[in-house]
Order: sequence, then C-alpha cells, then structure tokens
Amino acid sequence: MTAAPVRRGVRRAAWLGMGLVVVVALAVGTRQPGDPPTELERVEHLTAQLRCPTCRGLSVAESDAPASQFIEAETRRRVSLGQSDEAILAYFADRYGAEAILLSPPRDGVGLVVWALPVAAAIVAVAGLTLALRRWRRAAPPPLSEEDRRLVAQALAAEAAPAGGDGAGGR
Amino acid sequence: MNAVLGTAGITVALVASVLGVATLGLGLRRRDPRLLRAGMRHAWFVLAGAVAATVAMERALVGTDFSLAYVADNASVTTPLLYRITAMWSALEGSILLWGLVLGGYLALMARRFRDRSDDHLVAWAMLTALVVSAFFFALMAGPANPFEVVRGAVPTDGTGPNPLLQNHPLVAFHPPMLYLGYVGFTVPFAFAVAALVTGRVGEGWLVETRRWTLFAWGLLTAGIVLGAWWSYEVLGWGGYWAWDPVENASFLPWLTATAYLHSVMVQERRGMLRVWNLSLLAATFSLTILGTFLTRSGVLDSVHAFSNSSVGPLLLGFFGLVVVASVGLIGWRGDLLRAPGSIDSPASREAAFLANNVAFAAFAFVVLLGTVFPLVAEAASGDRLTVGRPYFDRMTGPIGLTLLFLMAVAAVLPWRRASAETLHRRLVVPAALATATLAACVVAGVRGLTPLLAFGLGAFAAATAVRHLVLGVRTARQHGRSRASALVGRSAGGMIVHLGVVVVAVAFAASSTFSQSRQFRLAPGETATLAGHELTYLGLEQAVHPNRTTTSARVRLDGGRVYEPALNQFPFATQAIGTPSVRTGLLGDVYLTLAAVPDEGEEAAVIGVNVRPLVLWLWVGGGIMLVGTALAAWPGRRQRAQASPDRHGAAAAPHRPEPDGTGTEGEGTRAEPVEVPS
Repeated sequence: MTAAPVRRGVRRAAWLGMGLVVVVALAVGTRQPGDPPTELERVEHLTAQLRCPTCRGLSVAESDAPASQFIEAETRRRVSLGQSDEAILAYFADRYGAEAILLSPPRDGVGLVVWALPVAAAIVAVAGLTLALRRWRRAAPPPLSEEDRRLVAQALAAEAAPAGGDGAGGR
Repeated sequence: MNAVLGTAGITVALVASVLGVATLGLGLRRRDPRLLRAGMRHAWFVLAGAVAATVAMERALVGTDFSLAYVADNASVTTPLLYRITAMWSALEGSILLWGLVLGGYLALMARRFRDRSDDHLVAWAMLTALVVSAFFFALMAGPANPFEVVRGAVPTDGTGPNPLLQNHPLVAFHPPMLYLGYVGFTVPFAFAVAALVTGRVGEGWLVETRRWTLFAWGLLTAGIVLGAWWSYEVLGWGGYWAWDPVENASFLPWLTATAYLHSVMVQERRGMLRVWNLSLLAATFSLTILGTFLTRSGVLDSVHAFSNSSVGPLLLGFFGLVVVASVGLIGWRGDLLRAPGSIDSPASREAAFLANNVAFAAFAFVVLLGTVFPLVAEAASGDRLTVGRPYFDRMTGPIGLTLLFLMAVAAVLPWRRASAETLHRRLVVPAALATATLAACVVAGVRGLTPLLAFGLGAFAAATAVRHLVLGVRTARQHGRSRASALVGRSAGGMIVHLGVVVVAVAFAASSTFSQSRQFRLAPGETATLAGHELTYLGLEQAVHPNRTTTSARVRLDGGRVYEPALNQFPFATQAIGTPSVRTGLLGDVYLTLAAVPDEGEEAAVIGVNVRPLVLWLWVGGGIMLVGTALAAWPGRRQRAQASPDRHGAAAAPHRPEPDGTGTEGEGTRAEPVEVPS
C-alpha cells in the first residue's frame, strides 16, 4: 500500500523533468544570436515584406520579375549604406504607396482591423469555451461513490443469479 | 454540331433539375410516393445532360472546333492533346461545366444509393436541395456562362491556346478535377443537413447517411489542395508551394470547416451534443465552396489564379447569400429541436478536446477568410487598396496550427467523458518523452527558432500517440484472432493514419518554410556559384522551338553531377515568359533551379535562381499518407457497435466487441478501467 504514493512521486518527477528539458531546450533554441544580422539577412528579411509590384501576391524575395530585382537591388544598396529597416520600408512605402508595396497591412488605420479582429475573436472563443466547460462541469452528475459501486455490483450479482432475487436486483 | 449537342445537354440537365425539384416538391406536398420516386429519377437525366455537354466540349477542344468561342479562346492547333483536353477547366465556362458534370455524378450516386428509400421525406428533401443547386449551375451555363457560345462572324482558323501556366505541366490534368470532386461533394451532406432541418428529423440518422460522403469529399479536396501546391511548386518558379493566394485560401477554407466537422460529428454520434454546431459547419463548408468559386471565377481579387472575368460574379455572390440566409434561417427556425441535453463533464475528455479542436479550426478559418476578403471590403468601404499577404497569414495562423498539433496529440489518447490523472499519465508519458527527446535533439542538432522547434516537438508527440493507438489496435486484433491488417481498417485507425500524414506535412511545411535559402547568381558560361553547400556551374544556353512555344534553357551542372535545365518558355500570345524550374528532389531536401533572366543581346551571363529547400518531398508524401488514411477510414464494413451509449461502461457491457472508434483500442485488459476515483 505504500507503493502508490511512491509511484505518484516518480510520476510527478518524470513530468517535471520533461517540463524542465522542454523549457531549457526552447530557451536555448530561441535565443537570439548575439551578433547583429548580416546585410544579406537584412535584405532577405526586408524583401520578404515587400510586395512584387508586377506579380500577384508574391513578395519581392520570392519573385524573379524585373521590378522585384530592381527593388531588391535598391534594398541591398540602402542596407549597405547603413540605413535602418524602418527607413528603408518607409522609403518604399513613400515611393510606391504603402498599400501597394507592403505585403501585409500596416498596423494602424484600416489595417489595424485585420490584425486586431482575430485576436479579439480568439479571446472571446477561449473565454466562451472555458465558461461553457465550467457550466457543464457544474451541471454534471457527481462522480460515483463507493456506495454507488457497491449497489451496482449487488444489483448485477442479483440479476446474474438464476432465481431472480427478491427485488433488490431491480432498478 | 458540337454547339448543338452541348447546348442540348445543358438544356436537358437544366430542365431535368427544375422538373425534378417541381416533382419532388409536389410529391412531398401530396405525400405521393410515386411522384417522389419519379423525382429522384431526374438525377439520371441531369447526369446524362452533363455528360453530353462534356462530350461535346471535349470533342470541340480535341477537334479544335473554333466555331465555339470557348475553344477559340482556350485551345490552339499547336496546343498538345493533353492540354486541349484539360482546356475544359482552363477558364470560367468550362470550369462551370466540369462543376455541373461532377454534380450530376453525385446526384446520380445519391439516386442510386437511396433508390429504395425514395418515399422517405428526408431523402426526398435532400434530393430536392441538391437539384436546386444543380438547377442554379446549369442555369448559369444556359445564361451568362454559356460554354457553347458560337463565334460571331467568320470562324477563326486558330485559337490562342490556354493560359500558358495551364499548358506547362501535366498536373493540370489532375489538380482541378480532384478539387472539384471535393468541392462539389460537399453538396450531398449539405443537402442532407437541409433535409434534416426541414423535416425536423434532426436526430443522428441523417449524420450516419452522410458520414461517408463527407469523408469522401474531404479526401478528394485534400488531394486537390496537395496537388495544387505541387503544381504551384513545379510550375510557378518561385520555389514555394503555398503563397496564401486568395484562390488557394478559397480551396483551404471549406477544408478547414469540413475537418472541424469530421471531428465534432463524433461528439454528436457519441453524446448527442453539438447539433447546431455540426449543421452550421456543413452549411459553412458548402457556402464556402460557393464563395470560393465566386472569388476564383469573378476576378474580384488580385490573384495568380484569377484567369477569368465575367458577369457570373454577382450571380454566384447572390447564390452564396441565399445559401447563408437559408441555412441560418433553417437553423434558427429549428433551434428548439436542436437543443441537446448532454454536457461535457471534464476538460480532460475526448469531447472537450474535440470542442477545443473545433474552436481552433473555426479560428483558423476566420483568420483565412478575413485575410482573404478584407482587402475587398476595405476597398469597397474606404477606397484604400491594401494587401494582406504571407507575413500576415504566417503570423496569425502559425500559433493556431501549433495548437492543433498539440490537440491532435492529446485527443487521440483521451477517453470519452473524463480521464483520471493515472490514465493520462499512462497513455501520455511515452509520447511526451519522445516529444521531449525530439525537441532536445533538434536543439542539439542546431535547429533554432520557436516555430520550427515547436512544430517538430509537437509533431513527434502527435505521431507517437497516433502510432501508439495503431499498435494497440493491432495487438487487440491479434488477441481476437483477427489479422493485423484488419486493425488498420476503419474510422479510428484510418483517422490515426491521416494524423500521421498531417504530422509529416506539418513538419515538412515548417522545415521548408523556415530553413530554405534562395539566391540569384549572374553567371557567365563556365562560372560556378555556391549556396548552402551546393555548387552550381553554368554551362550555357540551349534553345528549342516547339509548336506551341519557344524554350530557352540554361544548362546547369549541380554538385559536379547531373546537368539540370531550368528554362523560360515564350508562348505566342503571352507577354511574359513562363519559367519552368528544374528540381533535384531528395529525401532531405530539394535544390530548385530557375532561369531568372536570359542574357541580353551581346552578353553572356545568365541569371540563375537557386532555392535550397529541406524536406519538400515529404509534403507530397504526407498528402499521400492522408489519402490512404482517408480511404481506410471510409472503408465499408465491419463497423458494428452498440447504440451510442451515454456511458462507456454501458457500451462495454456488450462483451468482446472492441469498438473501432478509439476507446476500445486500449485492449481488453484496460477496458474495465474504473472511472476516476477521487483520491
């Protein structure tokens, strides 16, 4: 009978251990590398956010179109001049129009709606789910007690008996 | 001749649809079984008409009958035979005809499957609903989207051929028909859902009728989407396969809601709950197929797929509105009948996991729908044209996808009603350990980034629980003297195999979208460039003149081995050259080569694009596994079990009958596991 608490302790330790490994692994795996991004990485990062003006729905990074190649070259030039990411994006937004060149909407004005709405919906959904589960849980019948089990066992035994019993086996 | 045959076919199908609706309506009103039987039979005439029209269209395309405007616009004498055949779905009118043909096929299948139950009002209403849908589509073809419109004036001697992108790869013969088989297949469950609401028989009977139809349509839609991604990878030349293009989204949206339905329907079967939700999901799935067709075929959205433009748009939008209003109205009207008494007792139960899964799928669909139609709405409302592209979708859907992976791992081991801590521990500890080990191994191996690490770890978790489920199923089958293979057939095992396919796709998706590298090199003949350890040497250009195009290909030697030939094709009626990438496919990753630019006059250097992408092959393999799983899940037979019982122990009272839907696979020994005993 002393085995149960020990087993429970081992079990808890196993999960705690796994949790620890996961946390450490994710911490190591998502740590930003100390050195700043290379120029090439910055160009890739920037051109992935710019929309190829002549193709449909592709980023500058993805497309081979001449217009994209031009924008990529311009991005590379500006990166090598030491301009910041924001400044470069602002330059293109200014030159081509923010709606036309940015692949995802800006997070202000009308564009904010498309970013905020799913987050709001997700909060509502999770809250609703939690509430529903809680309500259901409260409405759920209480768990079986030992007494209930004994009664069921008795009833089953009585039913199985050939004579049919004295009514204790009924429901 | 072709025009006459085609128009006749469409007329027959249209008239048969309308007459069928009228006959069934009258039969339902008068409760006349003879009329109902006659009404059902109209389905065969719809199919006959659709087949005749399709034969006429293919005859015209193959025989280059340029007296038809559609043929003149979408075929040419120089178009190879395969692409003349596939030209039927290269543009709006022919696509609607394909839709009509597939719908006719489904109608006939319905008529055959339920031929002995034509006097059942549920069946009659379902057929009536499906015939209304078919009447709409054939009316489109009889009016604004007539595929058999005759050229005015002199018959041209040659046509323009299909859009160059649609005559560049044989996958175009498979992707659209698969997609349509899936899309249109959702008409059947939708029709039964409407019938259940109208007749008030909203119990579980209609669900059982439509379960396999839904699964079938879902499997084909899955195949269609995967083939579409593959086509995009092989043809479009940007090295990717999924761009969150509006038309891709349009095919993905009904897939999301249908997937949610396939899970939540089990809660209804088992517990009698979620009736309104399930009906809403079916209605949403069907309306999203119509909305998708509207988005694809009206050209309202900026999209690589928006090959067409026509007055059909408003009609499709109107039909979409009608479907939505009718569904919402019917569900509201029957609301009182739909209330279910059941309740979910514990968050640690399979039904709670399915509920969470449904919320996640609904959120996924909401994000995709919002991102897809928002530019339209914003433009209509404020005049601003903005783009909602990949960065948005990646950011918003990534967390939802990871949540779904987690739920997939956990739901597979959760019992119905509630799970004790003991059960959870016993069933989850090995999968969780494997997941943790995978995560740690990935970090040690140098994988960096939250999304890919979580995707790999949760993928391992989900794969482990699915495999555990399958292994236990096989063991139970052996104990009962059945063959191993028999344990892999049926909904539960099939579902787990689908899950394995999803894991493969998810891992491949995460790896290939996070760890790909691409670069362009301007190379003179003989020059060599290196990317991600791959060495490519440009050898020179080659030109070939084909009847329908001129091809310029660059000869590139990869890693000192085989020579690959990415090319650019110039089609006579296209302004832009169309690339043909050349791909070295490997188990661990692909090297994807494109010819970005041909050297200018007098110059030697060509621009070669290189894209190194890990694990791409596994996307298609995973898709294949999903299909196999679907087929196993839909496999008829052997499914027998007690009436949905409110209590697991009630079901377990039927002795020695392992339930093929999950809980039974714990094996006989664990079946008698007690309900949670408070300690």
